[in-house]
Amino acid sequence: MNTADRAEALAQAAAHFPELSPPTARDMLDCVRLELGHEGILDGFQPYGGHLSRAVAPRTILHILSGNTPHAGFQTILRGLLLGSHNLVKFPSGGLGKLEDFAALLPAGLAAKLECSRQFGDGWLRRAEAWVVFGSDATVAELRAKCPPQVPFQGHGHRISLAIILEDPDLRSCALAARDASLFEQQGCLSPQVIFVEGDARRYAGVLSREMEWFASESPAPPLPLAAQAEIATARADWEFRASGDHGVRVWKGPGWTVVFEESDEFPVSPLHRFVFVKPLPEDLSACLARFSGHLGGLGIWPCTPANAARFAEAGFSRICPAGRMQDTPFTWHSDSRQNLASLVRWVDFGP
Amino acid sequence: MQNTNNYAALETEISRWMAAGCGGFEDRILEVHRFQRTHNPAYRDFCSGFPDPACWQEIPAVPVSAFKTADLRSFPESETIRTFETSGTTGGGPGRHHFCSLSLYEQAATQGWAGARLPAEDVVALIPDAGGAPHSSLGQMASWLVPPDRFFFNRREELLAFLEAAERAVIFGTALAFLDFFEWMNGRRIALPKGSLAVETGGYKGTRREMPKEDLYRLLQERLGLPPDSVWNEYGMTELSSQFYTNGLGRPHRAPPWARGLVVSPSTGIEVGEGETGILRLFDAANLGSVCAILTRDLAIRRGEDFELIGRDPAALPRGCSLAADELLS
Repeated sequence: MNTADRAEALAQAAAHFPELSPPTARDMLDCVRLELGHEGILDGFQPYGGHLSRAVAPRTILHILSGNTPHAGFQTILRGLLLGSHNLVKFPSGGLGKLEDFAALLPAGLAAKLECSRQFGDGWLRRAEAWVVFGSDATVAELRAKCPPQVPFQGHGHRISLAIILEDPDLRSCALAARDASLFEQQGCLSPQVIFVEGDARRYAGVLSREMEWFASESPAPPLPLAAQAEIATARADWEFRASGDHGVRVWKGPGWTVVFEESDEFPVSPLHRFVFVKPLPEDLSACLARFSGHLGGLGIWPCTPANAARFAEAGFSRICPAGRMQDTPFTWHSDSRQNLASLVRWVDFGP
Repeated sequence: MQNTNNYAALETEISRWMAAGCGGFEDRILEVHRFQRTHNPAYRDFCSGFPDPACWQEIPAVPVSAFKTADLRSFPESETIRTFETSGTTGGGPGRHHFCSLSLYEQAATQGWAGARLPAEDVVALIPDAGGAPHSSLGQMASWLVPPDRFFFNRREELLAFLEAAERAVIFGTALAFLDFFEWMNGRRIALPKGSLAVETGGYKGTRREMPKEDLYRLLQERLGLPPDSVWNEYGMTELSSQFYTNGLGRPHRAPPWARGLVVSPSTGIEVGEGETGILRLFDAANLGSVCAILTRDLAIRRGEDFELIGRDPAALPRGCSLAADELLS
């Protein structure tokens, strides 16, 4: 199969996962062209300056997935198969739902290039010619140290995301922000934990709470392990206590969701699971975010205009998008601010 | 202390009641609650969102974080004589527990120790004394239980010499201090005489060092010759005045007669059934100067009127790739 054939087959299989923003074949070929310069450059030499070049994919890529969100795993598996590599996928011990059955959706030629397991297979680390690792900073650092120096290593640490509402007198973005904060139970690296509002943030929080409630009525939160329930209960108790003596704090809550309005300049700690903070946009946003340097993920903005995006282009986020679309990443997204196909291939040149 | 809000009178009543066996717990702790609701402004604000409790289980419990963010005094600030601080390892600075009198705290510590049938003699401490750590409630508590010349914190050679010569020793220390001592012993073993005990407490806060309780108890047996039944755990917190004890492995902690533990469902706030797990709330009638009802961050299993502590296991939390902000703070 050449690259175009693989893209077509992958698009058909990916369509079974509408909740994961599946790419079309065209999306995938666009990504190859944008990152590698030519749609056919994985299949043969193509003009490249005054000579010809070909991108050579790793024969085998090891993907180590962690956590419980399928989105990142879905995209890295698609990228590995699109490159034509053999892919060894270590799923987290708790699994990743139906994504573990992805191979069954592929034609035989591609299915044979996908080995998945919740345990490391024999010789996986030795066989891999590239590593893609998802996890905490500690996990990524630990595995980076184990990766042979000549093997490309793509580490994806945890990220924190947020939204900024700049001008929304009619509060039209509240329903969109509720969707962003509720999808994937706020576990994704693009899930907003805090929404900064320019203007009446308290009013925004009140309307957002109604939208969170509505979203939960349409898509109830799944049952949580006791430890997570306890985290949420204690976080709610912490903020409810603060609200009792501080008019700058207010808590709204319902089954499976929590909204906290809080005025201070501190960046609060969310226990996740649809637990979102609304705060006035600080005068010095960069100071507020300073401690997350290197850990910022996505930024949802409203209104989503080029001028507003430009205001935050150098703040450290890898993606700026409209509120309500934070989880809908295009396949060409520079995940963690890098080209994720280009960083895995090697190049061979031909010609004078 | 000036008797500006009847604190001293109630303190005396509670002290007598504790000494007399604590009959009528509910009436007494509800009286303490009413006093605090009246004289503790921050707690009064919090309680305004709750009806008056009809039973001790309904007393509004403040989260432990409240001691970081609010001034929880049931007496005038000017009458504060001591303030103990938490280790402050979980972000937001330390929690502060203010006292206008240490009388009930001392009574709870000494009477609780005796009530757990721990000996009053031969106690040595692997804890800094109150002079070396004036903001440590544990150091203060130890100062009531341990003679001044029996504090061996960071005096390992002297401790070893003492233990080797002792006819009996009751070693009171943090789990971390025991580990440090064993590391320093470098494999050396001693067999403490019959009747010796260890009382471990405190855990590993702020150290990133953790050891399962079973492993710690195995080390205590290997290095000191103390079987698990000769090892006690003291569960207390800076925000309280009373302590909860258990001994050996797999046994529940027991409250002293003037306190209670209540294991509640995190989703409903109602007490869980026997053998079920929930969040631990603690009620302490000796905690007169602040708040008598605390919502801990610990999980526990209800065992009759006792509770089996299982702590909080971060590994049990489902996590995706969203950064928990406290990961950066810890």
